[in-house]
Amino acid sequence: MTTSPVELLPAGADVPFTRIGEAMARGVCQERGATPMRALVATVVAVGPIERLSGAAEALQSLGDAGTVRGILISDGTNPAPPARVAGNTVALPGLKSQYVNNAVAALRLSSLPTLVWWRGGRPEMLAELAELADRTVLDDPEPETIWARATTLFEDSTFSDLRWARLTQWRALMAQFFDIPEVQAAASTFTRLTIVGSDRMSARLFAAWLRSSVAFPDGFADEYVDRAGKTPLEEVRLSDHEQELVIRVAAHGSCIETAVAVKGHRSASRVVLMTDQSLTGLITDELRIRARDLAFERALRRLVAQPLPTS
Amino acid sequence: MTGNPLHDGLRLEPTPGPTTFVIFGASGDLTKRKLLPAIYRLARRGRLPAEFAVIGIARSQMDDNAFRTQFFDCLKEFAGVAAAGDEVAQSLANRMYYVAGETDDPALYQTLQQRLAAIDGAEGVLYYLAIPPTVYSTVIEHLGASGLADAPPRGSRRIIVEKPFGTDLDTARALNRLAHQHFDEDQVYRIDHYLGKETVQNLLIFRFGNGMFEPVWNRRYIDHVQITAAETVGVEHRASYYEGAGALRDMVQNHLMQVLSLIAMEPPIAFTAESVRDRKMDALLAVQPLVSTDGDSPPDTRNVVRAQYRAGWVNGVEVPAYREEKGVNPQSTIETYAAVRVNLDNWRWAGVPFYLRTGKRLPKRTTEIAIQFRRPPLEIFRRAGQTSVSANLLIVNVQPDEGISLRFETKLPGARMQIAPVMMSFRYGTTFGGEVPEAYETLLLDAMLGDPTLFARHDFVEASWALINPVLDVWRAQTGDISTYEAGEWGSAEADDFIAQDGRRWRSL
Repeated sequence: MTTSPVELLPAGADVPFTRIGEAMARGVCQERGATPMRALVATVVAVGPIERLSGAAEALQSLGDAGTVRGILISDGTNPAPPARVAGNTVALPGLKSQYVNNAVAALRLSSLPTLVWWRGGRPEMLAELAELADRTVLDDPEPETIWARATTLFEDSTFSDLRWARLTQWRALMAQFFDIPEVQAAASTFTRLTIVGSDRMSARLFAAWLRSSVAFPDGFADEYVDRAGKTPLEEVRLSDHEQELVIRVAAHGSCIETAVAVKGHRSASRVVLMTDQSLTGLITDELRIRARDLAFERALRRLVAQPLPTS
Repeated sequence: MTGNPLHDGLRLEPTPGPTTFVIFGASGDLTKRKLLPAIYRLARRGRLPAEFAVIGIARSQMDDNAFRTQFFDCLKEFAGVAAAGDEVAQSLANRMYYVAGETDDPALYQTLQQRLAAIDGAEGVLYYLAIPPTVYSTVIEHLGASGLADAPPRGSRRIIVEKPFGTDLDTARALNRLAHQHFDEDQVYRIDHYLGKETVQNLLIFRFGNGMFEPVWNRRYIDHVQITAAETVGVEHRASYYEGAGALRDMVQNHLMQVLSLIAMEPPIAFTAESVRDRKMDALLAVQPLVSTDGDSPPDTRNVVRAQYRAGWVNGVEVPAYREEKGVNPQSTIETYAAVRVNLDNWRWAGVPFYLRTGKRLPKRTTEIAIQFRRPPLEIFRRAGQTSVSANLLIVNVQPDEGISLRFETKLPGARMQIAPVMMSFRYGTTFGGEVPEAYETLLLDAMLGDPTLFARHDFVEASWALINPVLDVWRAQTGDISTYEAGEWGSAEADDFIAQDGRRWRSL
């Protein structure tokens, strides 16, 4: 399946490569007219196979329509100056020859504001150069193992995150809140099992790697993964021993997350919170708020890359 | 294990410890419109602890279930949330309880004590006085007498007091004295919802997180400051309160003085509650008396103007005069509009007037701070036949469209040197995406967390009343009728003259 530049930015206008900057400054957009320029916050460069850029295009256009982000969509190809299509604050450069990606990004990104590279797949050897251009690289690869392994070699030079990691933020936050309870901290040395149910094994492994890289569990502690189709990467996380447990799970209607704690010396308690925005736009918006290097992510990814694949 | 290693890198906003939120005035308007929707939004965003409960207290005879129904109703009416199928609302409702009683009945407090003992989360108790100010002292005394103000070793007891904090300096002092008999100052949270607004908090970041503004934030570069809080509504259902208050008490003494102090304060040495509040207090102490007296001469009230609205049209709707509103004395001389000129005697602000204005039934609902800079010292373009350039203007929009705008001059395209002002704008609503928290959400959470930065300290409240009190005394002594303005206009002619005397005019909003 291929996606054309017109499909990526249906409301846009084709412009010569050399006129992209001018067209974006005018806010060219066939259907909506000129996009009002407001307080800009960043450039987001989405890179990947063209069929993976559709979702990114929608998210970037949404952010661009709000007038805050300049979006650049680039798919790998052989053309040094491909026909560009501009819609408002977003430009698509399909089939750009990889050795010219740096030049294109350097020419088009907003000066003096952060650049975020959104990696949606592609040749792993491109990652280092792209990461060098970016203030932050957000990985979002359907088959992430290779790119994760490569990213761990770049941690000292570049700042990385991952959309799977971003989707786990609320789950990690809820688990962290359990550990604010002194009795839960005390129970950490007795938990024996982490069970994760979900539809995305890599997300489950990343969560487990994070937890195990942060908390010293006893010898013999085991991870267990249960595949179950669902709308969210994780459906349930359970940290337990034979008489205590912490549970985080998607609640019945699927829009909330329910937590429950049952540990010695502490009253059993549960609560329900709304699931945070998991849309691409929402996740990228959250990523744009982050500036600092994420050492917890780096530790988790290093651990995951170093450990053998678990069995179900 | 020390600390919580799972917080590393999470950028988690803190969650309070176990808390029970006790609302006095649980069947009232504030509870329905603001408090319960704010609690719901906090729960949605996962900002409340697992051990959280609400106890509503009011005279109305209700049981827990009826209170929960009221919660669902107010969510529907004021937050646009249908409770059916909303798991957060259902979960929260399960932890809502109700106690009916009279606030002057000791039995009420015994019942409250029993309820607290039976509820998870009673380690931390946050009382909220959403009741008429006349009852504050009764509740505070009973809380103190029944031991409900005493924090257990691993918990807290805090109290949020709604404005008005007194009706004048004497009553404010008396209220503070009473509160301090039963609660320490760090247990008392005097809420001013203006301080919970994102833009008002952003004033600190804007001023002290940027290197370029603070150097020009002084008398050398700033000509004057206008702070406007305009409402289109009349007194609505608050006539009995408003008849005893008026615009000066209702808005200037609290909200506008708080905003003024944030604009005028010196940089704090740290972003801590006491440091910020100390510097705000310094700014307030630099304010010169609003009424000056000189021997036997009549008090000089040239720094204040008041007026009351007549019938008129607002937003296309014909509205009655203030004196014709339900519950208002037909001969009332209460002001629905007030304008104040504030001068600060310190090195930063000497000679820079701050103009504060607030009113009801004005043409537009808006709250903004406008900082007008001085014009360039030499108008070289005027000599080239151009009209005078506009002064640069920095506008902080507090509501409804929170953001910051900067107006500056620019050359119009073309061969001639034509000048036109342009406005560069930043808006919270569009720039960062996501929901901007409501002021009450921010402030309730801060109180649960024990962070008093955004709450008024006792000395600030008293200093503010000390400024306002002489004005009220003069107005009270005046026998003539009050000036008026037509509803839907920007105040009275006197208000325009008042600022025109200084060679300035109100910003058109």
